[in-house]
Amino acid sequence: MKKLQIAFLLAVLAAAFYVSSLPAGTMQSLQGRFLSVLAPFLRTGSAVQEQLGSMGKELKTLDELDAENRKLSEENRVLLATNNLLREIEAENNRLRLVIEYRERSVFKLLPARIISRDASTWWNTVRINRGFEDGVETDQPVLTEIGLVGKTTTVTKNESIVVLITDETCRVAAKVEGTREQGILSGKRIQESGTAGELHLNFLTKNAAIEPGQKVYTAGVSGGVFPSGILAGTVREFRTRPLDGQAVVDPAVDSSKTEDVFVVVGAK
Amino acid sequence: MKAGIGLVATCAGVFVALLLQQALPAVHALHGARLVLVPLIFCLAAMALPFPVMLVAAFFTGLLCDLMYLHVVGGQVEIALGCSIVFFMIYGSIANGFRPLFKHGRWWSLIPMAGVGTSAYLLVQFAMLSLRREGFEFDATLIWRVLGSGLLAAVFAPILYALVKPFGALLPQDFLIERNY
Repeated sequence: MKKLQIAFLLAVLAAAFYVSSLPAGTMQSLQGRFLSVLAPFLRTGSAVQEQLGSMGKELKTLDELDAENRKLSEENRVLLATNNLLREIEAENNRLRLVIEYRERSVFKLLPARIISRDASTWWNTVRINRGFEDGVETDQPVLTEIGLVGKTTTVTKNESIVVLITDETCRVAAKVEGTREQGILSGKRIQESGTAGELHLNFLTKNAAIEPGQKVYTAGVSGGVFPSGILAGTVREFRTRPLDGQAVVDPAVDSSKTEDVFVVVGAK
Repeated sequence: MKAGIGLVATCAGVFVALLLQQALPAVHALHGARLVLVPLIFCLAAMALPFPVMLVAAFFTGLLCDLMYLHVVGGQVEIALGCSIVFFMIYGSIANGFRPLFKHGRWWSLIPMAGVGTSAYLLVQFAMLSLRREGFEFDATLIWRVLGSGLLAAVFAPILYALVKPFGALLPQDFLIERNY
């Protein structure tokens, strides 16, 4: 090998080791800047993908439209009634929370966001949303829908953020099982089956816990944690006893592969 | 001059491939395997470019890949910036060894190199994140994703070569094939 080639090899290796030794914050900041540069291209790409995907889907007959209209009107009436009921409960709930000085857990400010692209990597479960630090989003803020928990923000750029989904193994949530005192750590599988909503594992439960399929799993809201208490995370599918503890297999409440609109919890009201 | 144009073309190709990859869905029939375009583009470039220029392309490709897929949770980076640079340097060095064959018209050597390189890239990523997460997990989906992606790259390699070849012929001396063999 020629001297010049060896010199090139060493120079590139040195540059690689230099960037790998950068602090995590610097790497994240570099990623943020890089994604900001890519943002216009990614947005255009996802818009084209959306347009192509929706071609032909929106064409419906008059009968279908009529049936859909009747169904939506009925749903609207039910939702209005439920909403009124929930407003009363919310007001009472807030009053009680204030009484017991749990202000920090009371009501959260939700920022609506849209998923602009889904995980294009093989090993990580992430999505990108169209809100960044200009909209008040910060790192490690919970992301949810009206149904339940979606994940949390990681890298935040000017107008976009990466959300790591609860189906990812690295997104760990303190969670409790409805109707029991059981609490554990909820996380995704390392390799999720493609084309499904995914599977979650609730670990470190009591070995002989009385957990049945169908029980709901909610966030536990530990002190200093990312996720507030009481957000639906999923439903127990199966309970397994292991040598040292119990493990519940949980179906996520939100199928992130089909979700388009989410909310970022940006703080208290 | 020719190598410089080749480098610019490679960098542009890698950038476009990164964007295209975002829009390509996973193949459910192959358990979530994907067409990973970046190692494929890089493999073609590594077989066509001189060694020092390939190294620069490896740096650019690795850095862009790491920036795109940097996974940071709770202040912890799973695969640090720069790891892909080292991978692409090694991969590129091996692919560059096939350069004499490639320049003498044996373009099909791109097919196994692209397949093996893509699978190796995914396997290295998985091994690194498994080390970080303290434990290896193996199941059939892992094998499908690694080998399936390699297979997709191998299938797409001749199409890519056919797409790129006319542009190579536009250069003063053919970028991909030497005329006087």
